[in-house]
Amino acid sequence: MDVTSSQRLPAETRYSRELKTLKANDNHPKPQGWTLSPRSVRSFILGDHELGVAQKFFGDDPLVDRCIVSLMGHQGLMLVGEPGTAKSLLSELLSAAISGTSGLVVQGSAGIIEDHLRYGWNYAMLLADGPSEEALVPSPILSAMRGGKVARVEELTRCAPEVQDAMISLMSEKTIVIPELGPEVESRALTGFNIIATANLRDRGVHDMSSALKRRFNFETVHPIADVSFERELVAKQLEERMAEHDIKPDMGQDTLELLVDVFRDLRTGNTSEGASVSIPNSVMSTAEAVNVAYAATLDAAYLDDKPLSASHVARQLSGVVFKDDPEDARKLRAYVEHIAKPRAKKSKAWSLFYKAAKTEFDKR
Amino acid sequence: MEQLIGEGNGESLQQVYIAVCDAKNDVHFAPIRHHSPACAWAVRQLIREVKPAHVLIEGPIDFNRHIDVLLDAGTLPPVAIASILELATEKQKQQPRLAAYFPFCSHSPELVALREGKRVGANLAFIDTPSMDKALSRNNENDQEQNRPISLQDDAVFNSNDYVAALAKEQGCRDGYELWDHLFETQLGTKDWRKFLSEVGAYCAGLRSMTPNAEILSQGDRDREHHMAAQIAKAQKKGGPIVVVAGGFHVPALIELLGNPDLIKLPALEKGLGQSYMIRYGFKALDALNGYASGLPQPAYYDYLWQRAVEAQGQPQWRDTATDLVSKFCTQMREDGNPINLPSQVEMLRSAESLALLRNRPGILRHDLIDGAKVSLVKGEASRRDVWSERLLKFLCGSKLGDVPASAGLPPLVEDARRRASSHRIDLSDGTRRTRKLDIRRKEPHLKASQYFHAMGLLDTSFASRSAGPDYLNNVRTDLLFEEWSFSWSPQVEGKLVELAIYGDQLDLACIAYIDHQRQRLQKDGLAHDLEALCDLLGRGLLAGLGRRLSPFLGDIESDIQSNNQFPVIVKALRRLHFIQSSAGPLSAPASLGLQSSLTAAYNRLIYLCDDICHSPPEVVEDQIEALRLISELLRNDESKFYDADLFNDAIDRIAEATPQPEILGSVLAICLQSGRRSITELESALNGNFTGSILNLEERIGVLRGVLHTTPLLLLNQPKLLKVIDSFMQQIDDESFIELLPHLRLAFTALNPRETDHLGEILARQYGSIASDFTATTSDYTQSDLERGLLIEKRLRQTLSVDQLQDWLAPETSV
Repeated sequence: MDVTSSQRLPAETRYSRELKTLKANDNHPKPQGWTLSPRSVRSFILGDHELGVAQKFFGDDPLVDRCIVSLMGHQGLMLVGEPGTAKSLLSELLSAAISGTSGLVVQGSAGIIEDHLRYGWNYAMLLADGPSEEALVPSPILSAMRGGKVARVEELTRCAPEVQDAMISLMSEKTIVIPELGPEVESRALTGFNIIATANLRDRGVHDMSSALKRRFNFETVHPIADVSFERELVAKQLEERMAEHDIKPDMGQDTLELLVDVFRDLRTGNTSEGASVSIPNSVMSTAEAVNVAYAATLDAAYLDDKPLSASHVARQLSGVVFKDDPEDARKLRAYVEHIAKPRAKKSKAWSLFYKAAKTEFDKR
Repeated sequence: MEQLIGEGNGESLQQVYIAVCDAKNDVHFAPIRHHSPACAWAVRQLIREVKPAHVLIEGPIDFNRHIDVLLDAGTLPPVAIASILELATEKQKQQPRLAAYFPFCSHSPELVALREGKRVGANLAFIDTPSMDKALSRNNENDQEQNRPISLQDDAVFNSNDYVAALAKEQGCRDGYELWDHLFETQLGTKDWRKFLSEVGAYCAGLRSMTPNAEILSQGDRDREHHMAAQIAKAQKKGGPIVVVAGGFHVPALIELLGNPDLIKLPALEKGLGQSYMIRYGFKALDALNGYASGLPQPAYYDYLWQRAVEAQGQPQWRDTATDLVSKFCTQMREDGNPINLPSQVEMLRSAESLALLRNRPGILRHDLIDGAKVSLVKGEASRRDVWSERLLKFLCGSKLGDVPASAGLPPLVEDARRRASSHRIDLSDGTRRTRKLDIRRKEPHLKASQYFHAMGLLDTSFASRSAGPDYLNNVRTDLLFEEWSFSWSPQVEGKLVELAIYGDQLDLACIAYIDHQRQRLQKDGLAHDLEALCDLLGRGLLAGLGRRLSPFLGDIESDIQSNNQFPVIVKALRRLHFIQSSAGPLSAPASLGLQSSLTAAYNRLIYLCDDICHSPPEVVEDQIEALRLISELLRNDESKFYDADLFNDAIDRIAEATPQPEILGSVLAICLQSGRRSITELESALNGNFTGSILNLEERIGVLRGVLHTTPLLLLNQPKLLKVIDSFMQQIDDESFIELLPHLRLAFTALNPRETDHLGEILARQYGSIASDFTATTSDYTQSDLERGLLIEKRLRQTLSVDQLQDWLAPETSV
């Protein structure tokens, strides 16, 4: 495969130059099994001006410190938080910096079975020669144990409870027994092994984690971006990236962009800039969702409406994209439109468009 | 030193570094940050080594008279000097009186300097401008608005300066607090105090180099520095060595001024009286005060570091210190009912230590501990301020209370209460119980006196009780013009005020703080939803004359309203607030209090919650229809159209569209009918549907009727069609069902008053072509012979029972 043509390269390839520089300049103590020292891991993620390493994760430096320190201990690291808060990116960066690879990953879903966490078999070889090391197909976790590396489990809460249960003993005993290869055959994790899991605790269709499993992880909540101007910048940038595949130039005016980010922040935090309180909807109001709305609004304006993108498209998409299936949320949005957007509409054109369009949407129902 | 230079002006930093190191002319500068144990340690070592003749401290010069009490063996920190400022000029007199605090704890460099200075027999003095000037320059209007205490120690620059921000980023620290700990508290107990102080000096020179001159001037810093320099120069003439303990920010300027003594100009001072008192203080108050600008937060933590350094006579054993803190925290949590298991405790310590190592520190510091708790104790998704960090912060803040000896005099709150009493001509000369009659409606001074009594009542001082007069809170006899109070000043009253001194130095400030405290207590008791109690507190505050100062509290009520989910509770709160808003006289609220916006917020919340009414469980239906009645009544009487009734009507419309409980449907349709939104036909068909439906339980069949009667009983008299529907239902049901339904009907019809019931009776009777009295039961149907027969039966019954040995049945209370 030609690596350069794939959509997204793994972190260790994307940042191989930075990782090399850091390694060359790393003279701090290293925990066993780590390719970089904790301080260099920190520099890799939060940037190091002198070595020309760019900052890759924004908004919460102490969180990165805590993650690194968690991975030095016996507990796994569980990254939780709303979708779109760069949990997976952080987990990828951490494993690339610590183990030199971010590829030992289990992509959690309802279809995952215990074998995906332990090991499977090459059935042709198994049938031909019986169980042997050659016929064994190790899971990413088994490979990580054998190599003393960091394994990643994405979306752990989407796996069925019995699969989650299998994680408990893996994490406490740090060993996988392979009885098929003979009595007392097991793979014990080398130092350096640990697990970074990401999970979404609020979405529908996820399974609760047992407290036994919770005890084996240190939790870190990744929060949405706190700085409003940075968030606006990020939304604009991501919208541009998304629109690259269409022949449309995203032309989101500054006032519409501000309105969009404000609406999301108001509903996410439960507080407006005027100090009024807002009921927080169950729907996810993350930056990533804001990008989705911006994207949908742009398409709506370009393909269906044939008009320049405005706040009314945002209003239409907001009730469509975000508040799609929860009547309770629709109610909260209505309250927001009536009590917050209405007074703002008197002062701003964008808000006035937003208010009118949202009101029309409600009346349709 | 190199790490301090960062992007700041390297040269000026170097100069200050050298000047502090050199101690030219035997003047030893000790640049400090308030409440920093590391600075306190360095000051201690400096004085022990130099044995100065003078120890001069940045602190209001008028506090000199408190030095003896501060050094008294009976003074146990934390204590504070509270300065009450009475302004002289006419313009300033109109401003509220100011109170400012200068707190001391065991690890305050200022207190350590005083104690050590006394040990070596030095001459001790505060050298800053009088508290009055200092407080005025420090005071900003925002603090007054918020009823915040003013701090006489200002370190805001340590956290909000560009130099600090840049250096923090470079050192990988999140803010000025972490940076300070990282650079300086790590050096607690150092032997090389000279290097330490010089570094603090250089750091502060960095801060200063990035502070605009205009800001320094506007804060009055320049004047204060001239004042301090003049005092130092005066001491120099008496002979050295001299130790100057001053906020690091001022040290570069002091060095410069003393280098050119000709430049020193004594500033013109404000004319006014500043009275100061020494009061016992607490870590909680100190933490809150620090939150507004000065010193380091979480005093118990730094106090502990200080103790460990003193015990170790040098660098504290960082690891043991952290281990002890963690285990003390865990013990505390266990006592509070939030036990932490041993593995988590170990993990907390391990991660804190690894973090300290990662961050290149000699030991675990405050932020490492907090992060360690986050790593190990938080399980699951957490908000930015998770519960465990909050618990740890509370633990690190501590709750220690200091003590002052009797010689420190009475706290200002007691003085204030006495002063106000005499200004209201309330006689406190002895403990006799007296009465006072007040004409509160017509005489302003009497109203003020009443407010004083109410304020003392609000604080639970048991000073006075109202024996007669209007009860505004419960809306009882508010037409009365006179209030009668009985009062007596006792040691208990004084004791209570001494206890409350921590809430403020003036009666009204103490009331505000006390109200806030009460609200927190309600929250702690799980009664945060008790909005009525909060509105009651608001009313009591208004009666005590707190007026506009209640606006932060009102803001809290507003946010409680926002988080409350119960429609009836919100309606009741809205009614209470509305009552206050519309009342004139002693309970009236000033426009600036912002009650209107709270009313709007409550109304908006109520509209929002309307949609929940459709899904009410049966047990709350009664509360809901009562609330609907109250709110529709309120809107009907809202002549000024303050509330946007359309919002309510829209919401009610939505409820009617859904399928709510019959009672609710009835009351909602009745309201809609009254407001003209819906026609009588809809209510008719709802009633009919309910009556004739297939509900087995008869009682439930009159649900809609119950709702109508509860909300708008008069509708029955005004709308003959309704009466017809009900009447035909009555005719349909058989006698047995009627008897079964009768008690429920009676209960429902109690919504009508007796006159209305009579009127209804007449209408019905007229429909059947007769008059009401024809149906009225008479009680004279029994004759004398009936009575005799009855008595005979009773007699026989008694006999039969007694023959059967069952006479006990007749006196059940005597049987076992």
